[in-house]
Amino acid sequence: MNLRIAARFLVELLLAACAGCALASAAADLLAPEQAFRFSATLIEPGLVEVRYRIADGYYMYRDKFRFTTIPQSAGLGDALFPPGKIKDDEFFGRVETYRGELVIRLPVKSAGGFMLKAVSQGCADAGVCYLPVTQTARLVPAQSSGEAVRSEAYASELLRLQDATPSR
Amino acid sequence: MKRAGRIALLVLVAVSALATGFWLHPWNWGGVPRSGNVARLMAASLPDMEGKSQALAQWQGKVMVVNFWATWCQPCLEEIPEFVRMQKKFGSQGLQFVGIAIDHPAKVREFAATHHMNYPVLIGEMEAIELARVSGNELGGLPFTVILDRKGQLIGTELGGLNERKLATIIGSAM
Repeated sequence: MNLRIAARFLVELLLAACAGCALASAAADLLAPEQAFRFSATLIEPGLVEVRYRIADGYYMYRDKFRFTTIPQSAGLGDALFPPGKIKDDEFFGRVETYRGELVIRLPVKSAGGFMLKAVSQGCADAGVCYLPVTQTARLVPAQSSGEAVRSEAYASELLRLQDATPSR
Repeated sequence: MKRAGRIALLVLVAVSALATGFWLHPWNWGGVPRSGNVARLMAASLPDMEGKSQALAQWQGKVMVVNFWATWCQPCLEEIPEFVRMQKKFGSQGLQFVGIAIDHPAKVREFAATHHMNYPVLIGEMEAIELARVSGNELGGLPFTVILDRKGQLIGTELGGLNERKLATIIGSAM
């Protein structure tokens, strides 16, 4: 009898522990933005940069939040070429275009030499969390051709520039 | 009897493992900040929608729900009507919502007006991001909410959406 009571108590404990796990895991399993939106950049040919984001399952990025710049600016960045994304009508934002999975963006550049590429992006998780805009940087050198992501951080100044560029609702 | 004892032992081991796993979960060691960090939040002042500096300490004595949000963050916008409703319902009992928008003042003012936000909204950039970070928001995600008791002590943080049921669980007897 005592054993039966003990067993029931343990089962209840087990159920309580599982409920705790479920509660705790809602937002805790979120990836850091650098992992959710894996960035790389390569000079695939002289004058053409290929920027790649490997977007983790359950995450998405907004097309109108990407900003690319070069240091020095004289590297001469042209207009970014985006693939078509998924269009949805958002209750708050109207028509928005988003990307999931693998995203490849092409950037024409005038420079024949090396330069730094700064990429600002912003995305969200389906779990109901949006990340602050993140700036990721790659050093692109023609001889090596492959850009190494050297820096990744969030800047409020970038955030504000993004807001300036976002059309009003 | 011997078999029952073995089963009980197995269950005990399973429970211990689960409890340990739960205890080791990032939510437990990373999500909840140390008390000193909340002191920094409570010591902060940020401009309101009119640009006037407001100290967070002025609301101490109430149960404070400090919600970091932005107009560009869809999940943030979804929970605000519920906060407005709860502020109206529980405000007289000492519940105080405070919004901290990481955003442009003009966009915040527009949203606050069209959605009839009935609680104070402060606006910050780098400082607000830093306050959210030291309060436990390591990932830089929004919405992020910090819940403080009447003494200004931390009773919970939440990354992601909140609703009345969830908030009631966190606040518990602090009201």
